[in-house]
Amino acid sequence: MGYRFLHLIKPFMGILPEVIAPERKVLFRHKVLWTAVTLCIFLVCSQIPLYGIMSSDSSDPLYWLRVILASNRGTLMELGITPIVTSGMIMQLLAGANLIEVDFSLKEDRALFSGAQKLFAMVFAFGQATVSVMTGLYGNPSEIGAGVCLLLIIQLVVAGLISMLLDELLQKGYGLGSGISLFIATNICESIVWKAFSPTTVNTGRGPEFEGAIIALFHLLITRNDKTRALKEAFYRTNLPNVMNLLATVVVFAIVIYLQGFRVELPVTSTRSRGQRGTYPVKLFYTSNMPIMLQSALTSNIFLISQMLYNRFPDNLLVRLLGVWTPHEGSNQNYASGGLAYFMSPPHSITDSLLDPIHTTIYIIFMLTACALFSKTWIEVSGSSPRDVAKQLKDQGMTLAGHRDTSTYKELKRVIPTAAAFGGATIGALSVLADLLGALGSGTGILLAVTIIYSYFEMFVKEQAAEGGIDALLF
Amino acid sequence: MADVVPSGSPRGAVRRRTGNATVSRSGGSSSTMMKLYTDDAQGLRVDPVVVIVLALAFIGSVFILHIYGKFTRG
Repeated sequence: MGYRFLHLIKPFMGILPEVIAPERKVLFRHKVLWTAVTLCIFLVCSQIPLYGIMSSDSSDPLYWLRVILASNRGTLMELGITPIVTSGMIMQLLAGANLIEVDFSLKEDRALFSGAQKLFAMVFAFGQATVSVMTGLYGNPSEIGAGVCLLLIIQLVVAGLISMLLDELLQKGYGLGSGISLFIATNICESIVWKAFSPTTVNTGRGPEFEGAIIALFHLLITRNDKTRALKEAFYRTNLPNVMNLLATVVVFAIVIYLQGFRVELPVTSTRSRGQRGTYPVKLFYTSNMPIMLQSALTSNIFLISQMLYNRFPDNLLVRLLGVWTPHEGSNQNYASGGLAYFMSPPHSITDSLLDPIHTTIYIIFMLTACALFSKTWIEVSGSSPRDVAKQLKDQGMTLAGHRDTSTYKELKRVIPTAAAFGGATIGALSVLADLLGALGSGTGILLAVTIIYSYFEMFVKEQAAEGGIDALLF
Repeated sequence: MADVVPSGSPRGAVRRRTGNATVSRSGGSSSTMMKLYTDDAQGLRVDPVVVIVLALAFIGSVFILHIYGKFTRG
């Protein structure tokens, strides 16, 4: 390892697909079009079932990961963006920790680094596909037959390749934002809308009830004779999404949008020309949704391991300390009911949280600390640490007003890590709040969705300011 | 430096006198997950239209597989 790890990638560079960067700036309305087409492909892929699966209704070990990976069980998007995210995260952490040496100012290194991420993404996709097919996630491999097994692997790998190319297409400037964030946000919004308006009926013993919260509200109000009881039922039913959950979702949404505006503005002046002034804003959500992303990646991996161990050795003391898994009432989905994993998973509802205050307290402390720490780490890894920002400002011939070059770094060092840690903790707290209020989709999911949607909104405003008015979108 | 500006830092807010030719990708909030660079690499170059066509062809072939599966099984 070490010195020239990246050179190992060189022989593969010729075969790695690469979307051609646009020759001129793509018009805003074309960007919207590309983004829409990409999104359509993703949505279709996450509805088509994989060809050749036998069964997929056992407890889902990846349940917690699905949110951040935009994956849908049993469909072509089974792996979703897992390979891209895993490979991107690992490579960046390795590069950030200087375990592999990358000089981002060299063109060759940058190309090799992108190449390495793609190559590993494909390797991961192949590995994950093989493992999940061979372990019998879609039915016993010997029953399915070798041919269909091969077909399953091919489908999963090609879907991984396509989502990688779509992501690259958007990032290269044809579309808006990145495929990863777009897919995550869409997936979450889809589930929220589904839970609010789903027309599926569920038989509850007292006649059929609609799954969707809004539809159920009207249905109950019309069919039941006792209108107050019907309202109560629609607002507080526990087995299906209720109107309170929907309201909680809206509240969390609003709070996050409100907090997005919080920032510290550092005045900067130009060192090259006198009187040139500007501000460098340091946002409260400096690291955006990364802390929550990393936090849920961590916990869901622990959950995954703990569940596998518990299924294998249910009586081992150490395994039970890590987590005890029992199905939650009314579903096949396993939830942690003891051990370390229990304290890392959110309470099911606000009543649950009051019944077990120790769990709630530990969970809140865990979330806040983890998010704050991840946030502080991420600024170092991703190149937005005080030192990097100071360098950027210097390169642009800017300095903080009233500070010399050296003290600029000190001042940034005072502001940025604090903002990052505090912002991370805030994100964590909001996620806990969303979980306690029982907002639709998990707390993590909502926060990811809101921050992504907000950044898209910012992007829209910026692009439109550049091209003039909303007309650009229409014509 | 092409673009190592991460999610949170709104570099656009710093007013620059001249638009020195930094290529800037519009960064989504978690676009930092996979860093890609806009310099042309020597890889297998594909047109974006080809990507879309490839995706559609893939979806189509899975559809055909499903239909074929229905016929042979039932």
